[in-house]
Amino acid sequence: MTGKQKRALVTGGSAGLGAAIVRRLTADGYGVVVLDRDEPPPDQRLADFLPCDLASRTELDRMLPDLIAAGPYDLAVLNAGISATGRFEAISAQAHLDVLRVNTEAPMVIAARLLEANSLKPGGAMVFVSSLSHFTGYPGAATYAASKDALAIYARSLRKVAKARGVTITVAFPGPLRTDHAEQHAPEGADASKRMDPDLAAGRIIADALAGRNMSIPGAGNRLVALAGRMFPKPMTAMMRRLIYDRLRG
Amino acid sequence: MSRARPRRILITGGNAGLGLALAQRLARDHKLLLSGRKSQIAVDGSLPRGAGYIVADQADPEMSTQALVRGIRDFGWDRLDNAVLNAGIGIAPGEGFDSTDAIRNTLDVNLTAAILQAQALFPLLEKSRGTLTFIGSVAHAGSATVPAYAASKAGLHGLARALRSEWKGRVSVQILHPGPARTGMHDKAGYDPGRLRALFLKADDMAAMMASAIASGRSPATLSFGRYLGLGAVLGRRL
Repeated sequence: MTGKQKRALVTGGSAGLGAAIVRRLTADGYGVVVLDRDEPPPDQRLADFLPCDLASRTELDRMLPDLIAAGPYDLAVLNAGISATGRFEAISAQAHLDVLRVNTEAPMVIAARLLEANSLKPGGAMVFVSSLSHFTGYPGAATYAASKDALAIYARSLRKVAKARGVTITVAFPGPLRTDHAEQHAPEGADASKRMDPDLAAGRIIADALAGRNMSIPGAGNRLVALAGRMFPKPMTAMMRRLIYDRLRG
Repeated sequence: MSRARPRRILITGGNAGLGLALAQRLARDHKLLLSGRKSQIAVDGSLPRGAGYIVADQADPEMSTQALVRGIRDFGWDRLDNAVLNAGIGIAPGEGFDSTDAIRNTLDVNLTAAILQAQALFPLLEKSRGTLTFIGSVAHAGSATVPAYAASKAGLHGLARALRSEWKGRVSVQILHPGPARTGMHDKAGYDPGRLRALFLKADDMAAMMASAIASGRSPATLSFGRYLGLGAVLGRRL
């Protein structure tokens, strides 16, 4: 019965963690709507695909009515994100802008408009995908870190008003994942086998969201990093500098 | 006490609120260049004597950054000892949700413009091994009253944390998180703090704490009522 089928929205669902989340939700019987700039893989069975480049305000504004019409949703996962690694002063102004638009502004706008339109069913859940970097300094990806910190705090700030509508808000803080995105931005010589399997992370994040938890940090090692980052911010940032900034290419 | 040499200090949003209070405090000993959205005529007579003024509306991050760089050059400065990226706005959505325009405007003014400006001002600050100061807010940890504002300030917090490490030894980077002060901010944001207003610090006391935090270089620094009760507005270093 399609009438009883649960419905989910996943932004950035065509690749990486987003695609893993889509696979998992589809396997669990959800009708999944994907919003992405790129076409989803051909083997993905989707309820709907909405093409949209979240770096563009006009594209997002044009897409919003369709996004709301494709609801209401039991679960919305605001996952789309891009990165820009390098020395802050060497990254182009346009790259800084794009990171802020895609990672921060677009999910904030989508969340506010969906909640306002009651596009999340009462009892539903909304997930904001931030980053493990929220718990430490991230030299070598300063604007990325800023974009994910801003998103995490927006999510937290919305919790009260979302709760009044029966919607829980979960902020996910995934660490390094074995995705193409990570491959592109990982420092030279980084060991890919140490990064988490995106399917595993996807399962944890969805379970935490459906349980209505405030936070989801997939992986015991990552939870330890988050704790250490909060307890020892300076040594942790210094370590991140050695791991990331000092090994930047070029 | 020996007086340090005058420093060349840029303060964005220096024509009102905490930015102006800080400018008034620093004007005696230092050379100031202030920026704001208002026209030169609109600010005439309200700025400290001798301070330069640049019209730079941060609602357009790229244009305002270009205006700052041009303004500094036209003022005859080839370096900066301090840049205080202070300009900011807040919009309270009331019982509802931030409008799309409010989200975009808040992020543009508070975060995006600061990022582009930090990038553009880096060479000028590096020449004098200067200090870049971001003005955050105690709301950076989250606020149901002003969600988009809180988000923008959290972004600055993360940015400062990363840049402080990246630019170590070249430019000193810090972020200050002032608590509520008696400025026009809350009225402009459309939020009435009611009786809590009694706990708000005077803008000048907050500016005093900002100046000593800038002199100390520490980061992050929370400037709230607690620090004030610890005589934070009268003790501490002078810039």
